[in-house]
Amino acid sequence: MKPRLLMLAAALTFAAPVFAKPVIGQPAPDFSVTDSAGKTQTLSAYKGKIVVLEWNNPECPFVRKHYGAGNMQKQQGGAAAEEVVWLTINSGAEGKQGHLDAAAANAYVAQVGGKEAAYLIDADGKTGHAYDAKTTPHMYVIDKDGTLRYMGGIDSIPSTDKEDIAKATQYVDQALAELTAGKPVSVSTSEPYGCSVKYGS
Amino acid sequence: MRMAATMFGICLASATAFAQAVQSDHVSAELIGEHLALVPGQSTQVGLLLRHEAHWHTYWTNPGDSGLPTTIAWNLPPGFKAQDIEWPLPKRFDVGGLYNFGYDDELVLPVAIDVPADVKPGAKAHLAATAKWLVCREECIPGNASLVLDLPIVAGPAKPDPRWIKQFANARLMQPQATAWKGETEVKDDRIVITLRGAGIPPAQGLDAFAAQRKVFDNKAPQIERIGDALIVSSGKSEYFGTSPATLDLLLTAPAAAGQRGWRVRIPFADAAAPAP
Repeated sequence: MKPRLLMLAAALTFAAPVFAKPVIGQPAPDFSVTDSAGKTQTLSAYKGKIVVLEWNNPECPFVRKHYGAGNMQKQQGGAAAEEVVWLTINSGAEGKQGHLDAAAANAYVAQVGGKEAAYLIDADGKTGHAYDAKTTPHMYVIDKDGTLRYMGGIDSIPSTDKEDIAKATQYVDQALAELTAGKPVSVSTSEPYGCSVKYGS
Repeated sequence: MRMAATMFGICLASATAFAQAVQSDHVSAELIGEHLALVPGQSTQVGLLLRHEAHWHTYWTNPGDSGLPTTIAWNLPPGFKAQDIEWPLPKRFDVGGLYNFGYDDELVLPVAIDVPADVKPGAKAHLAATAKWLVCREECIPGNASLVLDLPIVAGPAKPDPRWIKQFANARLMQPQATAWKGETEVKDDRIVITLRGAGIPPAQGLDAFAAQRKVFDNKAPQIERIGDALIVSSGKSEYFGTSPATLDLLLTAPAAAGQRGWRVRIPFADAAAPAP
């Protein structure tokens, strides 16, 4: 009994390192960000639901690739049909390329036909840094218990060419299908690709 | 398409080199040849010359936290073969706390072209390529260009093209020097520590280090120190580190003041590292 307790204590210490970075199989960082409708969005509010986080910059060519081909909207729609909460997050600082205020974000979502549950405006980059979001797009899938199950690229072919989408493995789609079927996620990380997130200082 | 390329690939024409620069957003691209002609059975150096506008850059084979490496897809006459890009030493770009590896200013990406032995002197070879890149300042723009380089085939030695002597000399300086250094890697929690030993190991001051493989280093500048005869390179481990690569291609770059130069060392990767959960 005693050794087991010690091991548990060691595991708990390990689970909360000083420089917290998101880790697969560990609780995903909670956040509190205002969305484009003025509503406060937190991760903890969605306990019991699978959550997808998508980092976005409307002017980034990699984002345009996936929206231009309808790939992102298709995945958002598919997620919504499965009761998955899809949150698009913009961590672009004010004055940087791709930063949107609430009105511009609503116009953007309408223009591209976005089917996300909400568009979060993280202009201070706090949530982006908490997730160590590096690129647009950069994707995270969190299970019903709030555990991080996938982080990385939207798919397996880093490029700006729409023609590559059909040939690529769509990692988020795959992770969602596996999670909703009660299976483990087969590819839990991939290197994200895209433009750098345009953080402020 | 392929047929057309083959038909026009080699034809009789005037014996001069011909190519044209393509101006794209924030960068111009051109195929250049080190020599004015090609010689049957020999290999020749050509290059993709990229001239960047101030503050814009394109990418190394490992682009870092974001970006895309430049690619060249060749369409060559039958029997010709293009080798891989001989990547020059990269520079580190800080993009708002994220790191990109690549090139600014004027850059040549050299490629060796093997000329078959059976081509006839007097003919002309049409070397065609589609180059694709991502050019970034903080924002990024994908670009591409269809480029051609027509070179005559001669029996004898080919003369250097006087227009590009400086570019190819610089390209050679920008190549990492191969070394016989011995390296050992050790994965300690979230860091990768590499110990290098061997003749001509440089002092640590001003050095930077890069891994050619992706998903190994975390892309932040590694800590580099000299302890006795050993050079220790300690980098954060990539969050996307999965299975260890069999070997790590480590590049070291010296301060620009000394002229851009650096070294390459191939290191067997200690497989003590467990795959990521």
